[in-house]
Amino acid sequence: MKRFLQAAALSLLAAVTPARAANIQNIDLGKDAEVWFAEDHTVPVIAFNISLPAGSAYDPAGKAGLASFAASMIDEGAGGLDSKAFHEALANRAISFSARAERDYMVISISTLKENAPEAMHLLQLALTRPRFEADALTRVRAQITQALQQADAEPPRVASRTFMRDFFGDHAYAHPVDGEMASISSVSAGDLRNFSRTHWTKYGLKVSVAGDITAPVLAKLLGDTFLPVSGAVPPALPNVGRLGAPGVHVVPLPVPQPSVYFGLPGIMRQDPDFLPGYVANYVVGGGGFSSRLMGEVRVKRGLTYGISTSLTSYNKASVMVGAVATRADAVHQTVQVVKDTLADFAANGPTQQELDDAKTYLTGSFPLAFASNSGTAAQLGTFQRQNLDVGYVARRNSLIQAVTLADVKRVAKRLFDPARLTVVIGGSPGGAAAPRPSAPLPPGKPTTPAGPAAQAPGVPTQSVMPAPKPADKPLAGPVTTPSAAKKP
Amino acid sequence: MAAPSTKEENQAKLSQPAPANPRQTGNNTFQFALGNGMQVLVIPDHRAPVATQMLWFKVGGVDDPPGLSGMAHFFEHMMFRGTKQVPDDSFSQIIAKNGGDDNAFTDHDYTAFYEQIAKDRLPLAMKLEADRLVNLDLSDSHVVPEREVVLEERRMRVDNEPQSLMNEQMQAALHLSHPYGRPVIGWAEEVRRIDRASAQGFYDHHYAPNNAILVIAGDVTPDEVRKMAQDAYGKDAARELAPRAEFAEPPRLAETRMVITRPDAKVPLFSRIYRVPSYAQGMTGQAEGLEAFAQLLGGDQTSTLYRVLVEQKKLATDAGASYDGYDRDSGQFSVYAVPRPGVSLEALEKAVDQVLSVSTIALPRDIELNRAKTQLIASVTYRRDSQFALASAYGQALAIGLTVDDVNEWPARVRSVSAEGVRKAAQMLSRKQAVTGYLIPGDEK
Repeated sequence: MKRFLQAAALSLLAAVTPARAANIQNIDLGKDAEVWFAEDHTVPVIAFNISLPAGSAYDPAGKAGLASFAASMIDEGAGGLDSKAFHEALANRAISFSARAERDYMVISISTLKENAPEAMHLLQLALTRPRFEADALTRVRAQITQALQQADAEPPRVASRTFMRDFFGDHAYAHPVDGEMASISSVSAGDLRNFSRTHWTKYGLKVSVAGDITAPVLAKLLGDTFLPVSGAVPPALPNVGRLGAPGVHVVPLPVPQPSVYFGLPGIMRQDPDFLPGYVANYVVGGGGFSSRLMGEVRVKRGLTYGISTSLTSYNKASVMVGAVATRADAVHQTVQVVKDTLADFAANGPTQQELDDAKTYLTGSFPLAFASNSGTAAQLGTFQRQNLDVGYVARRNSLIQAVTLADVKRVAKRLFDPARLTVVIGGSPGGAAAPRPSAPLPPGKPTTPAGPAAQAPGVPTQSVMPAPKPADKPLAGPVTTPSAAKKP
Repeated sequence: MAAPSTKEENQAKLSQPAPANPRQTGNNTFQFALGNGMQVLVIPDHRAPVATQMLWFKVGGVDDPPGLSGMAHFFEHMMFRGTKQVPDDSFSQIIAKNGGDDNAFTDHDYTAFYEQIAKDRLPLAMKLEADRLVNLDLSDSHVVPEREVVLEERRMRVDNEPQSLMNEQMQAALHLSHPYGRPVIGWAEEVRRIDRASAQGFYDHHYAPNNAILVIAGDVTPDEVRKMAQDAYGKDAARELAPRAEFAEPPRLAETRMVITRPDAKVPLFSRIYRVPSYAQGMTGQAEGLEAFAQLLGGDQTSTLYRVLVEQKKLATDAGASYDGYDRDSGQFSVYAVPRPGVSLEALEKAVDQVLSVSTIALPRDIELNRAKTQLIASVTYRRDSQFALASAYGQALAIGLTVDDVNEWPARVRSVSAEGVRKAAQMLSRKQAVTGYLIPGDEK
């Protein structure tokens, strides 16, 4: 059986681009906007993924969390509809409509039954051009955000990820939490939200991905009408980033049984020719679930964690390789040491030819999975758009990954995975014996900082303002923490 | 309620007749059985050259041996720990090398394993599943670290999460003797007792083709799947199964209330869970009535609880309700609310009870009932967009003893729920059959 399996793996090297990926259309919406469209009439559903230059990096000084707050208000009333009427207009037609702030963009996700697409776009137009920001809704949403921030304060992954970003990005606009802080959120006024929406909810730099049961001419007309009255204001440019990283181990004490550890290094920009080799390297080290070296060392061999993963994320102005792991308090030092040793070995020796081949067969062979649904397709195309790629990249992508060589990955591994530059943040109170070999001295605990829903790796921010997940949540996901729904570069 | 496999049925399955031809059982569903008793369901979807395989076993947390809660979930983990031919953790590595993703999950009534992969790799994924279904190689060197992994998983999902901890305590209190009261992930001190021998016994008694339902969704035809499934799984022999225990659900004579104070809770929470009929055990229309009531009461921001508690009375920042009816035995109805700063949980609970009380008297307005039904029915259309969601819906239904017809007829059944049916559902919620929990931030006394 094993021999058969290996033979099968080799033939996948010729993996073809999925039919859908090869057939993405460009739709004209003026020179400052970009629309990609994947047509499919199998299911009467249309998915939209819309990105605007309105992420948290544009939060004004003292107003951390403004972009995210504004995104949370997107369905809280616009035009002639107050909050209640707007929610009912969506619910009466079962339109799913939500927005979240990332660091560079606000991303709006809409799913609608085919027959309700005109109403869904009408509501989007109202939301973008005539938001009401009424006092009642503002007070309610502010209370929701505030409670989410309070609870995040006690949750190790959130504390660790927020502190990591702050330490890693220092003075830059990427440093502050997407959701803001208690003080900044309490200072946000309706005027702040109105000003922000006027400057940033603009079609300058607009990116739209659509997949599903509609034709190109109908979609072109619908989007043309929808965005006609949307402002074309040019948002201010983001500042460039200076030095990245704060090497060393930083501890934020918390009384929990299982601390969380975030660790990271300066990454590689998306437009850098080394990005794809870096992406392949990341897959081998920590991006590939059970195939990754870190999962093998930390979970499978030692049983130290339920999950460990790393990701390479390129924002518009900076890139970061960040990893996350959680383990019991008395195993934190040991786990950090295993991570450092694993990174050091990879930097020195790179992957084996077999690891490279396996990474390429996974990364190319799994690409069609991203196009198996309308919602998945729209989300994947939106991810490509936010990385400033051209529509032809979708068809080229697999051959670019195939072209990555062992020499490329070894070179990039040296550049990327230098454990001496590692920024490590521990949310929780590590205990027990120190690692067998000396690790970086632990500085005195820093004061606990408010944490927010940026629990996942940067680049995959979350935006939930609901403080309480519904109590009944029975099924337990299996042995891998990171679902494969993660978007592929 | 699903009838458990009897010894006679199992014996009959051991005789291995030839696989039946695929039979169309819905708009886009086809079913057949292999000679060894494995049930197969095919859902063609030709949009992308990929397929989803899900293998559902009729074994879950309710089947944990006494004193070894968490065994079914632990065993799900062990299924990734290797066979003689596919040793150690190479199962997932082979799937990944072939461009696929895989994972698994465990609930009280079932355990499911799945792969999503290019369609020409489906035979490979089937061979791998068929291999670990009968050839698992349990050894102490795998059992011991995996037990630590599960304990880390428990710390992450439960011990670190005050809301999960409270919910675990409430579930334990709701079920007087039924194992739905045991956490699927297990009590930590019992997980520590699981060893190689007990894991082997669990495997021998529950993992067999005649206890499995195979669901394939994707770029395949029913005849292709029949050939592939016969090739891969046909060789696995049926096995005599441990009969599934039937547990009593004695009536509760009083409401249970608990107040949990935790330093890691920063926001208070009011939560109540009711024991109610499930789809599998309810009378016709009962479960659908509860489903519609949950949507009306607390499904989204247009629902009654949100409208009254959050928007009108301004007592809460969030409030909602949900119905979980996909169980072999009793289902569950949940209500929760998060107070605004300065509002006591007692005041919040009183307001929730007022809303519930009105629901038992007044009929819902047509416009609201229609909105709730529109949303529930649309969710079925949205589900068709995802192979995984479709395969899960059918697999879960079959695993708890429902039929493909039950899944296919669900939209029509929801459409026929009347205003009176919703009021009856509201009247079904009895405080005696409920546990109420307060989560309060602060130091434990």
